[in-house]
Amino acid sequence: MNEFLPNFLPQLTQQLINGLSLGSIYALIAIGYTMVYGIIGMINFAHGEIYMIGAYVGVVTLTALGAASGTLPLTLVLAGALVAAIVVTAAYGWTVERVAYRPLRGGPRLVPLISAIGMSIFLQNYVQLGQGARDVSVPPLLPGNLFSVEIGGFPVSLSVTRALIIGVTVVLMIALTLYIGRSRMGRACRACSEDMGMARLLGIDTDRVISFTFVLGAALAAVGGVLIGLSIGKINPFIGFVVGVKAFTAAVLGGIGSIPGAMLGGVLLGLTETFASAFLPTEYKDVVAFSLLVLVLLFRPTGLLGKPDIEKV
Amino acid sequence: MAVQEPSPRTAATTTTATTADSTLPLKDAGLAAVLTGVLTLPLLGNHLIIDGTKTTLVTNYVPVLIAMALVFVVRLLRGPLDRALAAIPRPRLPAALGERQGLWLAALVLAALVFPFVAARGAIDVLTFALTYVLLGLGLNIVVGFAGLLDLGYVAFYAVGAYTYALLSQYFGLSFWLCLPLGGLLAALFGVLLGFPVLRLRGDYLAIVTLGFGEIIRLVLNNWDSLTHGPDGINGIDRPTLFGLTFTKRAPEGHTTFFDFLGIPFDSQYAVIFLYLIALALVLFTLFVINRLIRMPVGRAWEALREDEIACRSLGLNPTLVKLSAFALGAFFAGLAGCFYAARLGAITPESFTFIESAVVLAIVVLGGMGSQLGVILAALALTLLPELAREFSEYRMLVFGLVMVLMMIWRPQGLLPASRPRLELPQ
Amino acid sequence: MKLRQNLRRSVLVTAVAGALAALSAAASADIRIAIAGPITGPVAQYGDMQMIGAEMAIERINAAGGIKGEKLVGVKMDDACEPKQAPTVANKVVNDGIKYVVGHLCSGATKPASAIYDENDIVMVTPAATNDAITAGGMKTVFRTIGKDSQQGPTAGRFIAATLKPKALAIIHDKQSYGQGIADQVRVTAEAAGIKPVMFEGINKGDTDFSALITKLKQAGADVIYYGGYHPELGLLLRQAAEQGLKAKWMGPEGVGNKDLNAIAGDAVEGLYVTLPQDFSSEPANAALVQAFKDKKQDPTGPFVLTSYAAVQVIADSIAAVGNDPKKVAEHLHKSSFKTPIGELAFTASGDLKDFKFVVYEWHKDASKTPAQ
Repeated sequence: MNEFLPNFLPQLTQQLINGLSLGSIYALIAIGYTMVYGIIGMINFAHGEIYMIGAYVGVVTLTALGAASGTLPLTLVLAGALVAAIVVTAAYGWTVERVAYRPLRGGPRLVPLISAIGMSIFLQNYVQLGQGARDVSVPPLLPGNLFSVEIGGFPVSLSVTRALIIGVTVVLMIALTLYIGRSRMGRACRACSEDMGMARLLGIDTDRVISFTFVLGAALAAVGGVLIGLSIGKINPFIGFVVGVKAFTAAVLGGIGSIPGAMLGGVLLGLTETFASAFLPTEYKDVVAFSLLVLVLLFRPTGLLGKPDIEKV
Repeated sequence: MAVQEPSPRTAATTTTATTADSTLPLKDAGLAAVLTGVLTLPLLGNHLIIDGTKTTLVTNYVPVLIAMALVFVVRLLRGPLDRALAAIPRPRLPAALGERQGLWLAALVLAALVFPFVAARGAIDVLTFALTYVLLGLGLNIVVGFAGLLDLGYVAFYAVGAYTYALLSQYFGLSFWLCLPLGGLLAALFGVLLGFPVLRLRGDYLAIVTLGFGEIIRLVLNNWDSLTHGPDGINGIDRPTLFGLTFTKRAPEGHTTFFDFLGIPFDSQYAVIFLYLIALALVLFTLFVINRLIRMPVGRAWEALREDEIACRSLGLNPTLVKLSAFALGAFFAGLAGCFYAARLGAITPESFTFIESAVVLAIVVLGGMGSQLGVILAALALTLLPELAREFSEYRMLVFGLVMVLMMIWRPQGLLPASRPRLELPQ
Repeated sequence: MKLRQNLRRSVLVTAVAGALAALSAAASADIRIAIAGPITGPVAQYGDMQMIGAEMAIERINAAGGIKGEKLVGVKMDDACEPKQAPTVANKVVNDGIKYVVGHLCSGATKPASAIYDENDIVMVTPAATNDAITAGGMKTVFRTIGKDSQQGPTAGRFIAATLKPKALAIIHDKQSYGQGIADQVRVTAEAAGIKPVMFEGINKGDTDFSALITKLKQAGADVIYYGGYHPELGLLLRQAAEQGLKAKWMGPEGVGNKDLNAIAGDAVEGLYVTLPQDFSSEPANAALVQAFKDKKQDPTGPFVLTSYAAVQVIADSIAAVGNDPKKVAEHLHKSSFKTPIGELAFTASGDLKDFKFVVYEWHKDASKTPAQ
């Protein structure tokens, strides 16, 4: 036991930090999936691409503001990149819903799904056309550690970028919970996800609520994209798909339609992947992640925090 | 159009002007153009490049301005444009071909049979490729179109078929013709194994589980290095033989080549034609089986289940069994397609079985018109041949592919040729 | 009416068939060489090196009058370095009636394509694929103007054993033909020298978050880490290792030797060891050629630029010697020797170079390299 602890505990702490930062990104993106599903019952397959666009807009802004050369203060550059990414990506979210999904509302269930897959392919190739298919990268802008302690000869460190990811995510989650719980728009969202027809009868502009959902989901995904740009530092037009599927998995894990579920699911998936990577051969981490998804769905189809749906005749 | 926009607005929540609601065409077009500018400026106006070891931006605002101008003009002329478009008589797509479907199928089959003997090698090759997708489309059509089960991991069964042949041929030297049914059966077995626990899930949950399953299969193939050679896949898979005659240049031990047998010089054109004919035969076989099945009780049960599961259960149908049969049968045909795919290319990798393949096959089924076999065939041909024809514009072809999927859903959500149920009408 | 409708539709069918037939382009009088490699995808940088090298060779040969008056024409084909796309590209080469291929670039893509070329008597010379298995199948028309993993791996393994002297060696690879192939060779050499790796693990191409793996490496106390694969993943590994304060010496094969590595990893690349083909661009005999590249604002120092140049040249020289017949060209390649910018080349019966040298370089944060001590 004495041998075990000093060797094991620090490693565990480090992996916990790794998993939390990975899970934070998943959670940010999963919220977009879960909100859209909760309100219009549609899997927005293009959401992963929205995240990718957020990452690109972030990197473009960072480069345009001369992040690497250091002419402007770094905080200003980062804030600028975040704002630009949020604004542009939210505009994408709004436009995509307007162009590709709204005309289909009320149609058969598969139709918007196909449209979303088409949109996903379109956006991926559109960015590829504008930016090329190659990796572009940002140099490490925030090097260094927030803290680094040596436990039993093993340095446990929390780097500034990872701290930023976790911090920003926590703040956004609290803000989102408050907003959805307290504000007028938040109430309208909840009403719509409860019963769209009834909400409309009660005078809620459901079109506006749906648009808002897409805008909010896109904005959160954009934050995730910028943070990934900062920490991983390498993006290409194809990053949206894999992360999109993972985030979607996270949303399902937590119970699709539930916002706290998406947060929980994201963090859980991040931790699962990291620990799978730590204790099994790294290559199997995705297998573990998807197996978790299948298992959860088999034994608790509505996810961890989802409401069981009632079968209606 | 069939889809109406349900938007009864109320006074209490009148919207802040969104572009579409604006009554002033100029303001509306202006706003749309500004929005286009915001959207395209960072992605089309600024190009990130790596210059040496530094990332820099190259700005070129011309595409942004073009996009803005285009959107502005189109939005401004929307009223007249719509009217002008409405005035053009639309080429009427048949709502349903009804009994004449059979006639059309016969004509198509005849054309397909003559085709390889008059066409060039490249064209045959492309059409063979397209036929694989016809096969996949027909198989998924059973699951999605007839039984109404949304399967997003169909590619998993395609992979099972392909790897069955590749591995059995690699390790045991089994022939294509033996592996073809084996691949189909093994895929069907996987379908049953997966289907048994998950088919009690409904709707989207089923879709998600199948998606997860598809990814797991691909990842296992990718990681099980000792068996599958990981991301490199399996190379040098034997081509199909004709009664033991190979279509290779040099005969492997114990075989004779087709060319030696007939005493003609080697020409790989024959191999291409032979593969094409196999693909065609597989498609015809599939069509035949499905057409028989949908007239049998099991076929009726699929459709009944799709329409109303609760009613079915009350009538004493076992939904799990019915769903399972559709799932397994769909998987069987995917297995056949996979086997053929492996034999045609001679090399497979897990990368060939990504989610996007599932999405394309699903798009084929939906674009063709769910449950409509002729529709699925046409959609499969369109979706595979058009990108091939447009290879010269390779940068734009996937862009257009995605766009077409979206536009088709808006303009014709019921598909190219919606299915028509066999029905009898009483004479008036 | 019905008949006319039917007629109209059959016209449509015929039109589609006609369009299909037009797909197969007519053969032209020039001698076409397909240059197959990654034009898109994450390692398109290497495709660039290949393209500029091959195009320069074509240009210079044509400027000197072509091959007996016939011009060489390069046809670029994109396989994105994917084993999945390579057979499609190879089939297109066959369908288009092209007889010579310079490519493919990545070993994983080259393997399935080479079988198709061999079957159709198409001469393929790869300027970059190093996996041993490519030339091991007894194929008559497959060649390479670069060394093999079994030459490069031992160079790296011996360097690790003799110079770096690790306390704990870890080997990571990307599980592809190239990456794993070379990682295996390094392991074998290291084990022969009495160094047993503490870790030998694969990662998946395209992954981005390696923090868990880095923590594992830290835990294992690795002080020398060999990575078999390409630069996008190594860049991220280096970057995330620096972030977690993992202090180790890194080493990789020529697939990581690229300026883009610096763009991803920043200063963390300093001190990375890379095995590269000897840099022939500094040879005095190549001065005019290097100047020609510089005039076009191209960089001749990339590891595959001159090997691609040589690949085109050996094909062209052979056509000039025995005529435009791929079978004869292949025979000629096997038995002759060629004077190229990367030295005097001669091929073995398997299609490999009789002699090829890899050199260990140290990579710096300004993307320059110096020979390692």
